[in-house]
Amino acid sequence: MRIEKKLNLLIFLAPTLFFTLVFIAFPLIFSGYLSLSEYNYAVDPGPRFIGIKGYVETIFHDPFFRDALINQVKFAIPYFIITFGVSLGMAILINELTKGIHFFQVIFYLPMIIPLSLVGVIFAWILFPDIGIFNHFLRIIGVRPWNIDWFADPNTALYGLVIAQAWKNIGFTLIIFLAGLQSIPQTLREAARVDGAGFFREVWSIVLPNLKPYLFICGVWILINSMKVFDLPRVVTEGGPGTSTLTLYLYSWKLAFERLQMGRASQVAYITAAIILLLSWGLNRLFRHETARRA
Amino acid sequence: MKVRRTVIFIVVAFASLLFVSPLVWMLDTSLRPTPDIYRYPPTVIPGKVTLENYYYVFTEMQGFTRYFLNSVVVTVTTVVLVLISSAMGGYAFGVRRFRGQNLLFGSILLILTIPYIMYLIPIFMMEDKLGLQNTWLGLILPYVALNLPWGLLIMRGAFSTIPLDIRDAAVIDGCNEFQLWYRVMLPITRPALAATTIITFVFAWQEFLFASTLMTKNQWQTLPVGIVWLRDELQTLVYGRIGAMIILTILPVFILFVAFRNFFIKGLSEGMLKG
Repeated sequence: MRIEKKLNLLIFLAPTLFFTLVFIAFPLIFSGYLSLSEYNYAVDPGPRFIGIKGYVETIFHDPFFRDALINQVKFAIPYFIITFGVSLGMAILINELTKGIHFFQVIFYLPMIIPLSLVGVIFAWILFPDIGIFNHFLRIIGVRPWNIDWFADPNTALYGLVIAQAWKNIGFTLIIFLAGLQSIPQTLREAARVDGAGFFREVWSIVLPNLKPYLFICGVWILINSMKVFDLPRVVTEGGPGTSTLTLYLYSWKLAFERLQMGRASQVAYITAAIILLLSWGLNRLFRHETARRA
Repeated sequence: MKVRRTVIFIVVAFASLLFVSPLVWMLDTSLRPTPDIYRYPPTVIPGKVTLENYYYVFTEMQGFTRYFLNSVVVTVTTVVLVLISSAMGGYAFGVRRFRGQNLLFGSILLILTIPYIMYLIPIFMMEDKLGLQNTWLGLILPYVALNLPWGLLIMRGAFSTIPLDIRDAAVIDGCNEFQLWYRVMLPITRPALAATTIITFVFAWQEFLFASTLMTKNQWQTLPVGIVWLRDELQTLVYGRIGAMIILTILPVFILFVAFRNFFIKGLSEGMLKG
């Protein structure tokens, strides 16, 4: 009886164990080992252990890595502002409406079901030089003949990708913000109105403070998301022009699958993961501290 | 009050018009004949509306139908395997008690926070050795592994809320453990299964990183990868066709999205933290 129960348990857990051990645990350990090795996949018979030397090399002496890191920060700041600002603003406004809520929700959630690589294709077409519709509108409203090749100019390419990725992801945070707004008791807001607060005052002193946990969740999510940029630069710009849209993900990928340097690539992947984990861990601690103080 | 609401309505309506415009522009492009697309200066209203791009995509582009098939096979199989594995594992974690349970579950959840690129390089080498690259299975297996933690999280929650007396009654009726799981408990967890389905489906339908790396041969690529490949291959003057393909890629998911909006919203918001 006991043995039968144990056997049953093992059967129930078998698929989970198979998939997580073979496709998660093993790759994780193996790429950790790779990151401490030198391994050219095309030439070398196997990885050669070199310890943390590779990490030192990557962090301190690799100009591409430095560029990718800087690009990541340059990406994260406008991406955070746009995604956070638009989804919060739209959530607050949509929450005020009595009609058409579902319709507007569907519109803002729509990009969530479009593959990010195809979002890249769409924006490459909109921002096309000459016949691109965005340049056309700029020409209509502008005084000079605008004709910018947005993704070929190192000063604008990264920001084109920021817009595309923000467009794709605004729906996610909008859902969370709307859920948060609906959890605020209506009586609180009515009380503010009775006290004569205007709309902006009401939002500032009643809505936003009560939304705090949701602001943190979405903020953390957007920041983490801004570290995982791959599909768009891969599809639209290939990291260029120059290294102006080279991100950490893309750099790791290029090292692994274009230059076949699996050790170097794993180092960049591990460093990226470390940044993301530190970010979410640190912000979570901050967040806990914040709620503890409030309670 | 009324004025305020009207002003807000106008602002939101304008913003959503702006927001949806990239997609509308792609639809617009896909409905035009090629010369009309490449006119300078561009026009917003199509000179002539035609379905020729859609017709062309279905009849002349074997690539597209092949990608569609690949996407459907990979997505559906992934969903089915995730459902089975997470329904079984969710039962083990939600109903049974065993040693090391919390440690095991905790380490599975840790997967959710780790960026997927960490797994890609070893999986690439592994599939290279095993000959799994350029096969459906080569995509399905890692997709299942990456989605399983969410499925487990959702299914464990569903199983653990099932009242104990239901289980006891079934055991008294002479059910063995598998009958208890399959006949008695599984039907109760249907909403959780639906949420798991949506998260997994949307992921597999859109995935690019693994698909573009592991499927090196064109005939094995899925829609998000294949369409990009076609764009690079055909170079310019094909945006009408590309547009048609993009609309056709979104359409099945869009129909499901409108039909099961609430499930979708719940599923997507639960799945938003994925790597």
